[in-house]
Amino acid sequence: MTLPLRLALWASLAGVMVLPLALVVSLGLGANHLPELIDQGLLTATANSLVSSLLSAVGAVIIGTLMAFLLDRTDLPGRGALRLLLLTPLFIPPFIGAIAWSGLLTDGGLLDRLFGFAPWNFYGGPGVIFLLTLHAYPMAYFVVAAALRRIPAELEEASRLSGARTTRTHLDVTLPLIRPAMAAAFTLTFVSGIGDFGIPVIVGLPAGYETLSTMVYRFLESGSVVSPLQTVSQIGVVLLLIGVLGTLLDRQVTKGSVEFGGTGRPAAPQALGRSRLPLAVVAWTVSVLVTLAPLVGLAVRALLPAPGVPLTLETATLDNFRRALTASTTIDGVTNSVVLALGAALVCGVLGLLVGLFTTRLAGRDREPLLMSVLLPQAVPGLVIATGWLILGRYTGLFNTRWVILGAYVTAFTAIVVQTVRGPLAGIHSSMEEAARIGGAKALRSRIDTSVRMALPAAGIGSVMVAVTAVRELTLSVLLVAPGTQTLGVVIFQYQRAGDYNASSALSVVLMAVGLLVLAAFGARYTRPDTGSDAPSGRIRA
Amino acid sequence: MVQIGSGRVSRSVGRRAVLASVAVFAAGALGLAGCSEPAAPGSGEGTASSEASGEVTLYTSEPQAKIDEIISAFNEEQPGIEVKVFRAGTGDLKARIEAEKTTGGVAADILLAADVPTFEDYKDQNLFQEFQPSETDALSDVAIDPDGFYVGTRIIPTVIAYNTTEITEPPTSWAELTEPEYADRIILPNPDVSGAAAFNAAAWSLQPDLGEEWIEQLGANNPQVAESNGPVSQAVAEGSRPVGIVVDYLVRDLAAQGSPIAVSYPSEGVPYITQPGAVFADAPNPEAAKLFLDFLVSKKGQEIAVDQSYLPVREDAGSPEGAPALADIALFDQDLEAIAASRDDAVAAFNAAVR
Repeated sequence: MTLPLRLALWASLAGVMVLPLALVVSLGLGANHLPELIDQGLLTATANSLVSSLLSAVGAVIIGTLMAFLLDRTDLPGRGALRLLLLTPLFIPPFIGAIAWSGLLTDGGLLDRLFGFAPWNFYGGPGVIFLLTLHAYPMAYFVVAAALRRIPAELEEASRLSGARTTRTHLDVTLPLIRPAMAAAFTLTFVSGIGDFGIPVIVGLPAGYETLSTMVYRFLESGSVVSPLQTVSQIGVVLLLIGVLGTLLDRQVTKGSVEFGGTGRPAAPQALGRSRLPLAVVAWTVSVLVTLAPLVGLAVRALLPAPGVPLTLETATLDNFRRALTASTTIDGVTNSVVLALGAALVCGVLGLLVGLFTTRLAGRDREPLLMSVLLPQAVPGLVIATGWLILGRYTGLFNTRWVILGAYVTAFTAIVVQTVRGPLAGIHSSMEEAARIGGAKALRSRIDTSVRMALPAAGIGSVMVAVTAVRELTLSVLLVAPGTQTLGVVIFQYQRAGDYNASSALSVVLMAVGLLVLAAFGARYTRPDTGSDAPSGRIRA
Repeated sequence: MVQIGSGRVSRSVGRRAVLASVAVFAAGALGLAGCSEPAAPGSGEGTASSEASGEVTLYTSEPQAKIDEIISAFNEEQPGIEVKVFRAGTGDLKARIEAEKTTGGVAADILLAADVPTFEDYKDQNLFQEFQPSETDALSDVAIDPDGFYVGTRIIPTVIAYNTTEITEPPTSWAELTEPEYADRIILPNPDVSGAAAFNAAAWSLQPDLGEEWIEQLGANNPQVAESNGPVSQAVAEGSRPVGIVVDYLVRDLAAQGSPIAVSYPSEGVPYITQPGAVFADAPNPEAAKLFLDFLVSKKGQEIAVDQSYLPVREDAGSPEGAPALADIALFDQDLEAIAASRDDAVAAFNAAVR
């Protein structure tokens, strides 16, 4: 019974995970378009991609680490609420964040309108780095905070007993212990920065700042090259290599990790003393800013009847909401996105649970390749996965249907479920399964009746995460849409691109509000310190 | 062993496993190596129907809200026809058509976008089937294709737009835009994306009093290049770039909604396109497609166009509010063949000058 299931699982993984990426590689190696690519600015785009992701990853790790120390190790007032507020960028798709912040800071934005000066016309590299950092630091926080919580109190206490002061202890004891986590956070955010499309396309491109992902989009959408798919696949190979290298490097760096002994009792929060108040003011200001500022930036544009009109109570209108929400393309987009998100949640849930089961509870030599085949796509930029499905779609005739988008979602998001179920599955005591075996159940049956059942809630949460991620996704679907299969993300993106900022902002406000509600409903349970290891810090693509 | 919170990749996975996994992917890749660019599926799947019902697919660069409005008016007359829209910039549409054409056939019924040279080009490639609008006599000459393959649906001049709070004395000629006072203040659309902008690049460079020299001087004023006409009009209305080179109807649209924006028709005349519509040769539902095009240029259809701030292609449809009569606008005398022939070079020269 186990073998057929294992084979079926491998077959589906080969089709959904391995094949699309293998197609990109094989097509990319099929011919040499490098001279053409270099002529089109490949080197600049590569440099821009590397620099922006590197700087934003460094920024994200610094902010995430500071945040982890402040929120998890000190007596800062209102830590729980601060944590929720500071995590909101994770629940706002990056392209929506880009739309929002540009509506706030730039020429003609809200501040310009109110006070007659635009603090930062951030189009171009600096804006891309700022926004990438903003949307990456919550992930860095999750990773670092989880490691921080696992450091037994005894180690720091020993240091303090030996006479070291707090700062000394942090530098000499705590920091080295969380260094692997910081490295992991760096790779995670770096790879996610390389793959991001929404931010560079909305903030970078208007100033001519091209990254690898916007270059891929340009080749596929405004056909200036002869065989766009092959050319793009070559860029895909480069991105794939960067992703794989990042993962391997990550592994190398984190190899020297140690297992902690001791009671595992977390350290007591530290009194901040005199700096408590100023730090609280700073933390609260920042957290309110990152939550409210984009919402306000969007709301203003969404409420304006037309650009350039001063916003007063008389001019404010809900017309944009009515117009954007009732447009037939929006209705199509919502329908498609909901159907796709539910489909992806179902498929990813089943696949993820099976992979989790086979890689934790059932013996087999294929454990690790199985796990890697699911997790590797996560290190791969979304546009590469989309390109793989574009090619696969052409071969199979699925091109121009919703199925290619669903396939791409499964490739990209199954890892989220695997991550949520592996912890609980591994933690279940084998005595349960043994009891079932003694009761006469076969090997697989005994697992399904015990471990799988107990892991179902985790798989459910994972599936919800997949659905929430998929429903407002842009990077994957933007390359795969066809007449009638537009997703909600693409609809908003098209409004933005066509210059209808009032409509794109109105839809973004709605989407963001839904995201914040989800955060309030589901996010709260993940932001409690005690559930650290299960934190769903899977990369959110949008 | 530290279990990192992300659990992204279990730290217990060893190097051998990594190699094994890389091998799996490599094997997959090698197994498929050497495959060439795959073909798009054939588009002839839909069965051609002579009845005016079913589904038609429309590729268009019309703004979404406008095309939605037209379709719902069309459906009042033809409730049996479902029009599916794929909206994108002209550049994107051309890329899509190109990809579909080389690998099978275009998967749409109607193209409604861009300018005559683009349509002439497609006509020469036998991408269209013949189509004569039923009320040809009522239409303006510039809308009609003597060979009977496409029909112009609105007249879209490109003009100078300016923010009325920032600019008190608007520029009245193209030449004025090259003066130093407009340095860093101009915004214009990207000719790689906007069909009208690509057309204009050629039209300007062929104009004896402007020419490539004017384009170079304009480029020296460091204009910002927006993706398409929509963002240009937005930037002008918001005041981030107070002067824009943009299609006229967007300006009237925004002005009607209250934006501080107005149009200046330059004295040298204006380039214009006619946003033609045609039926693809492989159209799955040509009858319905023709009904839709006929509706676009009918009196009713043109009145909607006027309501949407477009200059119409027939006189009995009136004129949009705030627009001069077509006769009062100096239009470029456009040699469409020369424009078609020089467009790619003109776009390249334009990009070199303004970026």
